[in-house]
Amino acid sequence: MNRTYLGEFEEIVLLTVAVMYGQAYGVVLMHEIAEQTGRSVKLNQVHSALQRLEEKGMVKSEVGGATSERGGRRKRLYTVTTHGERTLQQIKEVRESFWAKLANSFKPAIGL
Amino acid sequence: MSAPDKHPAKPPGLADRLLQLLLAPHLLENILGDLHEDFAYNVKRAGETQARRHYWREASGFVKPRYLKRRKDYPSVLISHDMISNYFKIAWRNLVNHKVYSAINIFGLTSGLVVGILILLWVRNELGFDRFHGNHEHIYRVLSNMGKGEDRRIWANSHAPIATFAKAEIPEIENAVRIKNSTDFVVFRYKDKQIRQEKQGYVDPAFFKMFDFKMLKGIRSNPFPAQNSVILTASAAERYFGDQDPVGQVLTADGKESFVVSGLVEDFPDNSSIQFEMLFPMALYAKKIALAYDGKTMDEDWGNFTYTTFLQLNARASHHEVAGKMAKTLVRNFRDIGMSDPYALQPLSEMHLYQTDGSDGLIRIVRIFLVVGILILFIACVNYINLATARAVVRAKEVSVRKMIGAGKFQLFMQFILETVLVFFLATLAAMILAYLLMPFYNNLTGKSMSFTLLNTDIWVMVGVVVFSTLALSSIYPALLLSSFEPLKALKGGLSGGVSAPAFRKILVTSQFAFSVALICGTIVIDRQLAYINAKQLGYDKEHVVRFELKNMAADMQSVRNTLLNSPGILGVTSASDLILDMAVTTTDTDWEGKSPDQKFFIHPLAVDKDFLTVFKLPLAAGQGFKGIASDSTHFILNETAVREAGIKNPVGKRFTLFGKAGTIVGVVRDFHFASLKQKIEPAILQYGPVNDEMYVKTNGRDAAQVIAGVEKLWKQYNADAPFAYTFLDQTYNHLYKSEQRLGVLFNFFSIVAILISCLGLFGLATYTARVKTKEVGIRKVMGATVAGIVQLLVKDFIGSVLIAILIATPLAWYGLNKWLQGYAYRIDAEWWMFALAGLIAVLIALVTVSSQSIKTALTNPVKSLRSE
Repeated sequence: MNRTYLGEFEEIVLLTVAVMYGQAYGVVLMHEIAEQTGRSVKLNQVHSALQRLEEKGMVKSEVGGATSERGGRRKRLYTVTTHGERTLQQIKEVRESFWAKLANSFKPAIGL
Repeated sequence: MSAPDKHPAKPPGLADRLLQLLLAPHLLENILGDLHEDFAYNVKRAGETQARRHYWREASGFVKPRYLKRRKDYPSVLISHDMISNYFKIAWRNLVNHKVYSAINIFGLTSGLVVGILILLWVRNELGFDRFHGNHEHIYRVLSNMGKGEDRRIWANSHAPIATFAKAEIPEIENAVRIKNSTDFVVFRYKDKQIRQEKQGYVDPAFFKMFDFKMLKGIRSNPFPAQNSVILTASAAERYFGDQDPVGQVLTADGKESFVVSGLVEDFPDNSSIQFEMLFPMALYAKKIALAYDGKTMDEDWGNFTYTTFLQLNARASHHEVAGKMAKTLVRNFRDIGMSDPYALQPLSEMHLYQTDGSDGLIRIVRIFLVVGILILFIACVNYINLATARAVVRAKEVSVRKMIGAGKFQLFMQFILETVLVFFLATLAAMILAYLLMPFYNNLTGKSMSFTLLNTDIWVMVGVVVFSTLALSSIYPALLLSSFEPLKALKGGLSGGVSAPAFRKILVTSQFAFSVALICGTIVIDRQLAYINAKQLGYDKEHVVRFELKNMAADMQSVRNTLLNSPGILGVTSASDLILDMAVTTTDTDWEGKSPDQKFFIHPLAVDKDFLTVFKLPLAAGQGFKGIASDSTHFILNETAVREAGIKNPVGKRFTLFGKAGTIVGVVRDFHFASLKQKIEPAILQYGPVNDEMYVKTNGRDAAQVIAGVEKLWKQYNADAPFAYTFLDQTYNHLYKSEQRLGVLFNFFSIVAILISCLGLFGLATYTARVKTKEVGIRKVMGATVAGIVQLLVKDFIGSVLIAILIATPLAWYGLNKWLQGYAYRIDAEWWMFALAGLIAVLIALVTVSSQSIKTALTNPVKSLRSE
């Protein structure tokens, strides 16, 4: 279990980056997360999460194209690294194993 | 609610600018891009107002350390280390590659800075006089007002009692100190050392409480424990005692009185108006007075105005009010002399710079010099600006290439500022070294002992101010000009003729030359005035006259006179009661036939022997001189001014009373100058006195040295203890005009520097104009222009500027110099030829400077100039 710790918000950002398949950058991530989770997200939170993820080596970024909406400024596009994928995988496995155990106890206990 | 497409809504600019300023450069693009994209999204969704508000909220979220911290390896766009070193490299190459240009620039700036530094040192020294006393703001000198209306005089001296009574009766006065110069003792002896002591004075004990002269030994609150105590300055003490501790040692004055050294004080600073080497207690002088006046004490002696009185007031007191209260004190303790304002108080710090009536004294010269200094610095700056803008043409291509590679305006601006800084650095360095080396000569010239030490922070501040103001003045315009070229135009050669800002440059050259012309005018007029003073007939013959004090010789006057007259080389001998060059004593104690009751004027009394008029070749306007007979004691000789002031018609034979002694006027002597030529001739009266203290020996000039040796030998027979001291009258006379002569020399020096710098600038400018016009000249020559025609073409512009400069400068100089001349009672008129001469000199200098370059260009083979590209 020697994986790096991920915060809850970081995990969501990482997942979102993963589902956007190379088209993820600050604003769209913010809008996507807001849409999917229904909570209000601020841009600086997304940016700091991305920075932390990049420091931990879970995402990598490259400079992308500019649009006129951005005033000619280029985007920074994020993709999940192998390390990031593996971490997501591990988190998922841990959760699933717990859920497996929990699933039985949620069923009503009816005697024969 | 969305904005129309043609004008897409823009996010708040202020927020963007703040972010640009604050955020780390490597994050900026991404964050701003995201913010803008979000803004566009929000505008569509919720309208512009909402979006803007939201934008601020989002933007403020980024003001966090995480986004502000700069990455170390990321270069700052504005001032990068690499670029600065590159700027210096380019600047250095430019300096080295254009040696003439660099030399002209640095030399011009250096001379400007040196002169600026020297002048400011002088000004600072003069303005700082007497300001080193901690209490100087509360110390005042008591001035005595004499007479009314036309006859009003304001004396810097006062009588003794007012200090005592004012201190006792007026609560605002914290301290009162009287100072009296003393010549009561001449030679002091310690063991086998005999020294003629100068600068002695009596002071009240509060002297050291009021003033901040530093006491090295002794008690500040009680400096004179006994009446025979004496305080010496460090250098005076060293002369007597060497390395020994002076306190407690005994000095014998003139072989009579003994004094015990009770304290040691640091030498009085050069910038102090109060200068002594030896101080005695005022109580001692009071005792002498009581003896001389049969018991009349010093505080009853209201008639002698021989003291300088200083009052220290408390912080809230107004000196006008105190002067008013002193008038009442005078009435209470003496009598009503019928004057409402017998006293005035002058601040200590104004003593050196202003006259007693509050009008400008030395401060006028200080102001003139300050202006001259600033003008010279300005001329030097203008030089730099001119040369730098002229060079702009040559550099236009460099600038354009830099711009195309991507240099911003700010970077180019920085580059040129840094180049200026480099030139200034070199010039400042050279200026400091030069100023340091010149200090001894400068001190000699100004008669001061200023020092240029790098340890003195004041000097750094001053140099800093001079350098930075000059730098700011001379760097900004060229840098702005150079950085604002449009690259395409410049590359295509759009800056034709090398004159990118012709009007501006012309104004600069014109103003530069206007100042130079004004300075030349000043030099000529001051020089003429000084020559006039030197040549002015004083009304008597002062040549080759030796003056000395008789002392004990007076007792044997007749035989002394005979011995002297029989010696070779001596043409005449006479004695008088005062120095003929500078008669100080005045009185109003006079009466004459037909005097109206309210008529009163100051007259200078002088006791002389029978040979006085003949030795000094003083001509009589009427009557006769003294004959040396008994009845002469009731005879008077007046000068013409005195006769006029008194309004006596046919004066010879009329009655006249001086000091209560009635007599007859036997002669009228023609007016002669017995004071500085700055003053008008005042009334004088000669009375007969066969033996007087001041002895004058007229020599034939050739044998002067021999005569002095003979006189000294004779003098020693009578005054064995004292050293013989003599002066030549013409030397003393020159001394009276020392400050004017210094002013003259300094002015010459400064105007030469100013002209030199202007010429340098003109030369540099001419060089560049000539270079830029090489092709034009080539084509003209091919077309058949003559050398003379081309020179004329090149020179015309400059001469035009100089002519305009003369037109501007002459009236200003005329006005200023006339004001200066007003200070002299006997003066030359500022005549037109002086200004014409100044203008001519300026034109000639400009012509010579410019034409050498122009002729060179005109003579160039057109093939050469046209072939090169």
